[in-house]
Amino acid sequence: MRDHRLDPQPGELIDRSETVSFTWNGRRLEGLEGDTIASALAANGVRVLSRSFKLHRRRGLLTATYHDPNAMVQVGDEPNVRAAHLNVSEGMEVSAQNVWPALSFDVKAANQLVSRLLPPGFYYKTFMAPRRLWPWYQRVLGRFVAGGVVNPEHQGGEYDHRFAHPDVLVAGSGPTGMAASLAAAEAGASVILVEEEPALGGHIRFGDDSDLGALADLRAAIEGQPLIEVMTDAVVAGRYDHNWVSVVQRDMAHVEERLVLARVKTLVVAAGTLERPYVFRGNDLPGVMLSTAVRRLINLYAVKPGDRAVVLTANQSGDAAITDLERAGVEIAAVLDARTGETVVEATGRKGVKTVVDSNGRRIDADLLVTAIGWTTPTALLNMAGDRPVYHSGAARFLPSSLPTNVLAAGGMVGDGTTDQLVEHGTAVGHEAAVRAEAVKATWRGGAPEATPRDIKGLDVEDHPELYRSTTHGFVDFSEDVTSEDLFSAAAEGYDSMELAKRYTTAGMGPVQGKVEAVNALAVHGEAVGTSLLETSTTTWRPPYAPIRLGTLAGQYHDPVRYSPIHPWHESHNARPLIAGQWIRPDHYGDPQAEVGAVRSSVGIIDVSPLGKIDLRGADVPRLLEFVYVNKWSKLEIGKVRYGMMCAEDGVIMDDGVTGRLSPDRYMMSTTSGGAGVVWNWLDDWLQTSFPEWDVKMTAVSDGYASINVAGPNSRELVSRLTDIDLDPHQFGYMEVRTGTVARIADCFLWRIGFTGELSYEIHVPANHGLEVWESLLEEGQDLEVRPFGVEAQRIMRLEKGHFIVGQDTDGLTQGFGFGIDWAIKMDKPDFSGKPELAWQKQRGDYPRLVAVQTDDPSIVPPEASQIIDREAGIVGRITSSRMSPTLDRSVCLAQVAHNRAAAGEKLDIRLPNGTTVPATVMEHLAHFDPEGTRLRV
Amino acid sequence: MSRRTRFSAWKLITHGLSRSPWPKVWEHHDLASAYDVVIVGGGVHGLATAYYLARNHGITNVAVVEKSYIGSGGSGRNTAIVRSNYLTVEGSRFYDRSVELYERLASDLNFNVMFSQRGHMTLAHNDSSLRTMRWRAEVNKLEGIDSAVISPDEVKRLAPFIDTSDHPRYPIVGALWHPPGGIVRHDAVVWGYARAAASLGVHIHQETELTGIDVGSGRIVGVRTSRGSVSTSTVINCTAGWSSLVSAMAGVTLPITTRPLQAAVTEPVRQFLHPVIVSGSLHTYVSQTARGEFVFGASVDPFTSYATRGSLEFTTGLAGHILELMPAVANMRLLRQWAGLCDMTPDYGPIIGPTEIEGFYVDVGWGTYGFKAGPVAGESVAAMIANGKPGDLISPFGLDRFEKGTLTAEKGAAAVGH
Amino acid sequence: MLVIICPNCGPRNDNEFSFGGEVIPRPSVDTDPATWRRYLYMRTNTSGWQSERWFHVSGCRRFLNIERHNVTNEIRMVTDVGGNNDA
Repeated sequence: MRDHRLDPQPGELIDRSETVSFTWNGRRLEGLEGDTIASALAANGVRVLSRSFKLHRRRGLLTATYHDPNAMVQVGDEPNVRAAHLNVSEGMEVSAQNVWPALSFDVKAANQLVSRLLPPGFYYKTFMAPRRLWPWYQRVLGRFVAGGVVNPEHQGGEYDHRFAHPDVLVAGSGPTGMAASLAAAEAGASVILVEEEPALGGHIRFGDDSDLGALADLRAAIEGQPLIEVMTDAVVAGRYDHNWVSVVQRDMAHVEERLVLARVKTLVVAAGTLERPYVFRGNDLPGVMLSTAVRRLINLYAVKPGDRAVVLTANQSGDAAITDLERAGVEIAAVLDARTGETVVEATGRKGVKTVVDSNGRRIDADLLVTAIGWTTPTALLNMAGDRPVYHSGAARFLPSSLPTNVLAAGGMVGDGTTDQLVEHGTAVGHEAAVRAEAVKATWRGGAPEATPRDIKGLDVEDHPELYRSTTHGFVDFSEDVTSEDLFSAAAEGYDSMELAKRYTTAGMGPVQGKVEAVNALAVHGEAVGTSLLETSTTTWRPPYAPIRLGTLAGQYHDPVRYSPIHPWHESHNARPLIAGQWIRPDHYGDPQAEVGAVRSSVGIIDVSPLGKIDLRGADVPRLLEFVYVNKWSKLEIGKVRYGMMCAEDGVIMDDGVTGRLSPDRYMMSTTSGGAGVVWNWLDDWLQTSFPEWDVKMTAVSDGYASINVAGPNSRELVSRLTDIDLDPHQFGYMEVRTGTVARIADCFLWRIGFTGELSYEIHVPANHGLEVWESLLEEGQDLEVRPFGVEAQRIMRLEKGHFIVGQDTDGLTQGFGFGIDWAIKMDKPDFSGKPELAWQKQRGDYPRLVAVQTDDPSIVPPEASQIIDREAGIVGRITSSRMSPTLDRSVCLAQVAHNRAAAGEKLDIRLPNGTTVPATVMEHLAHFDPEGTRLRV
Repeated sequence: MSRRTRFSAWKLITHGLSRSPWPKVWEHHDLASAYDVVIVGGGVHGLATAYYLARNHGITNVAVVEKSYIGSGGSGRNTAIVRSNYLTVEGSRFYDRSVELYERLASDLNFNVMFSQRGHMTLAHNDSSLRTMRWRAEVNKLEGIDSAVISPDEVKRLAPFIDTSDHPRYPIVGALWHPPGGIVRHDAVVWGYARAAASLGVHIHQETELTGIDVGSGRIVGVRTSRGSVSTSTVINCTAGWSSLVSAMAGVTLPITTRPLQAAVTEPVRQFLHPVIVSGSLHTYVSQTARGEFVFGASVDPFTSYATRGSLEFTTGLAGHILELMPAVANMRLLRQWAGLCDMTPDYGPIIGPTEIEGFYVDVGWGTYGFKAGPVAGESVAAMIANGKPGDLISPFGLDRFEKGTLTAEKGAAAVGH
Repeated sequence: MLVIICPNCGPRNDNEFSFGGEVIPRPSVDTDPATWRRYLYMRTNTSGWQSERWFHVSGCRRFLNIERHNVTNEIRMVTDVGGNNDA
């Protein structure tokens, strides 16, 4: 195979002393360190990189940049790698995508023969009958998907995020961007300069000697400027509200990629211009390349792009390409100067360009056709900042129209100029960016901005002919195989706005996202509908500017979890973890039924640290409690605790818990574990926005206390061994609270309550002593056969006792009445949250009731959410909780049922998930076990 | 139907070989001075309503006014998921009818909407979400809907890329499996309805913005648009996302706030994910399109807005959640993100029906589930206009339920109910 | 991610705050159902500048009144609701 490598070029990026070997479709090839995959392949004479999406046409390098639509390859595990961007590395396995069986012979290329029958949107017009064949059609269509292969075993890799706070962020490091960075830094701003390519410089990297000299000076100045942080091989992917900017850094040493999330005071967009392809018959043949692509190949990678070239030029880039090609020893077969009206009509050839037909009818033999017909302004970041770029017919490209003060556009984005002029413009913009950044910071400090934004004189705009399509039809969107003919036929069919045509033909929907094709599509569609859409439309790019790996976006994914201070003990005692919101709790320690038995017969302890706890102090705490709870609080005596239920303003139950009065003006409120934050915010809301004059000081102390519930007939005996508090039932009765020491730990409080239905003491100890007290309880209770129990045993016991759980037995529409505590809802209070709705609920009377239900067959446990059905009325309720009760040796349930089916003794039909129906009965009390509560009051 | 060319494979071949142009899918019309019905909003709801008014009820003097191009709002921005496994009886019945209409929509409209019934799987990561899945499955079964709770092993069999081990922060303890659910090409639904409605005589006015609604003595007398005024006695507001603003023109206040809902798409890769996957706990849903792209969605944005710009946090959060479910896709690339606007209602139910202004109807409040309801909403609203009162399928969703305090119960399951 | 300049904490990212929506005054609890349910459910939902309530939940835990343009997301005023319970 012939070597296409040239002699050393002044600006080349390759290291000729380091060869790199890699494989291409299994064939071993060599490139040089610094080569992209595409340049290494080109140096080896490989011209065909891929097959196209729909018609499976051969495709070669077009733009030779990250955004080359024809240069997507599979590298090892990774699909859709940009071959013209990623550097080749030792051992890399590269293969062509979208081919079967091989790149050189692809069966689906037969689609080309029938391409006339596959117009845009052809699938909308067929495969409709017979309907039973539609699944088969779908499978066939699915096989035609383009793109690489995801390996199911791929393990992700390391990614991370960084937060940055630069004063100025500059996107693009051409002469403008470099100068802007320097000027901003000289004005005292901290700067991040981001460059998509591996080295600073933009287009002057392949300029003449004076450009290369200017580049060296600018690079040296940047290196000497400590306020500038340079990110190469990085891309500004998005600009979001308030100048929140994302940057993907690709050349990282320790992670695959990094996402930088930057709060930028002033964003300078100096992204230059992208070269635009020309539309004509055969414009997708391998060997048809943009002028910048051949200049990259020659100047940066020292690769000869062909042997005999036709150059269509309308600008300096095309003219410079001719010089470069001649230097590279490429024979120039013809130069077609578009400025004088010459153009290309067609390129032909089977595997690549062989003949070029020009507008004079000349047929010119060539293996390379270079086009330089104009530019696209990559306004993506400006669009994201709200700009609607406007078409400038003189320049034949879009230019920014109006930008927010924290975004500035510079250089090729706004006009044309020599390297010196670009540097001058960049300098002015960079300085202004620094001034504006200071003004933003002044506002943040609470002051007035120190300066008003100043307009920067733009660059002049050079005349450029408007060239979009020749007299023939060709490809507009290379990624999606959309031709200008397709756009014409879509318009003729009635998809006559650009947006509809885009969606119908899928032009612009592929991996390049419009960078190469958007403006051509607009021009061609305008031609099709007979108006200049360029004049009346704008270009819109949605984020991200360049595709981002999901791994990079995710970074080191963290979803915080919470553990109680006693967690290490649970872990070392084989607790099965239960994930309850953020909390990881012990579900059980092996045998929840036995844990229930231990509590009912002697004593058990459970870690209830996740319970919410709010310390309330001040003279007006009772007023607050009266307002947020449905029941009465004004006469709560010192040392008493009371159950309370909270309803939202729509009367829906939002939380419950007990609150105790520890001293004259100190109260402790408990909430459900999941409701802790919600209740805390809820109380703050009322206090700050409605009752600011109330004397209430509130502190959330959920994490300040570890909480242990000691439950069972022997709980008094066990706790008495560890505390100085008098537990005599006459001194410390049911629903009371005491403070004192437990296991020699001071500042504990205990309340005597009974969620499990047993005599129990809930001990709240300063959190850092939680583990110690837990272990002391187990130690001291050995002779009582004390046993830890988990959430599952607690759930069984509370169900036996008929206590409901907010969010399980209630739902998003459950209002206060009907849940067994109607007596507590005090409608005679003047005001409380949800009062009007509760009054109307009571009046209506037709609300669902919570009832205890037992199946007639005690061995059947209807799964929770089983529906209660009635032949006439349909669904009349559902099982909200169900368990096998070890205490009663039968199944027990709570259910929400319709008001007219809730009477004790009512017969219900429960439909099980397997479709069978089982009979059941509504019980007299919510409690299946000890309805009188005698076990609590001992 | 006589006025349009039927689409078929044969027509594709004959047109392809003869290179004869296809007839226009819809025509442009001048704005008439009067219409029997003016539908505001050229999305799937508005166009379906127009189609069923014409086809089922013979009401063809109908204008659809759309401020941009058809399908430019939520209809072109959703993640195209169709399902009927709702929590409530009224929700399940309503959406079941929609699935039924979607199943025969291609032949109905003679436009292939590419409805791919690949199954819809809602993952449960803890006991309480499994309980909700079972609740939905049980209600669905009673309505004759194919819906069941399945085990983690079955999840693995149906979607092998999903990590069903017990290591993740959100282990998979089961799932709600709904085989008739799937995805559809959303633009095709819009175009199919537009073409069919246009062929029956409906006028579709794109680039025509409503600027006012004229009300006289409590009833609709006409509308004003950027292209002129129209007299009419019936206006239907089908502008979910902007419905509060349009209703305000008639003096009607709605219980709606507008929030962006974001979505994103990756580059295409070879097919490997068959069913639609949803995780409520992870606020994520994902499907792989016929083109090979992954389409993602999440829950609505944390604050109200009429802006359709995407946010970075949506993509970073989404990617973290997707990799929790499918670690192998870390080097797939996110290609594009966008946002649509959603009408959020207090009970996560839509609002369909008359208002206090006679002749002014709403078909709004579509939250994050409007696209999948397009056909049934169109059919039901058309019937309501023709019959003068809402039918059984939509009567639970009237605007008056908020004043009466009879909210729908979908609230529990709909937080991320795709 | 917006920057909200909290009067107590300075410029912070919006993910430190929770959104409370339009500020709707609470009617008397003795009112009729229609009035009460307008308070619960009905919203102006205007497009443009909106006065709304935010809560600096991961900061000073103060409720704030904010004027935000809900199309551009520009914020022109942030003040504390003024109640000084915990101050």
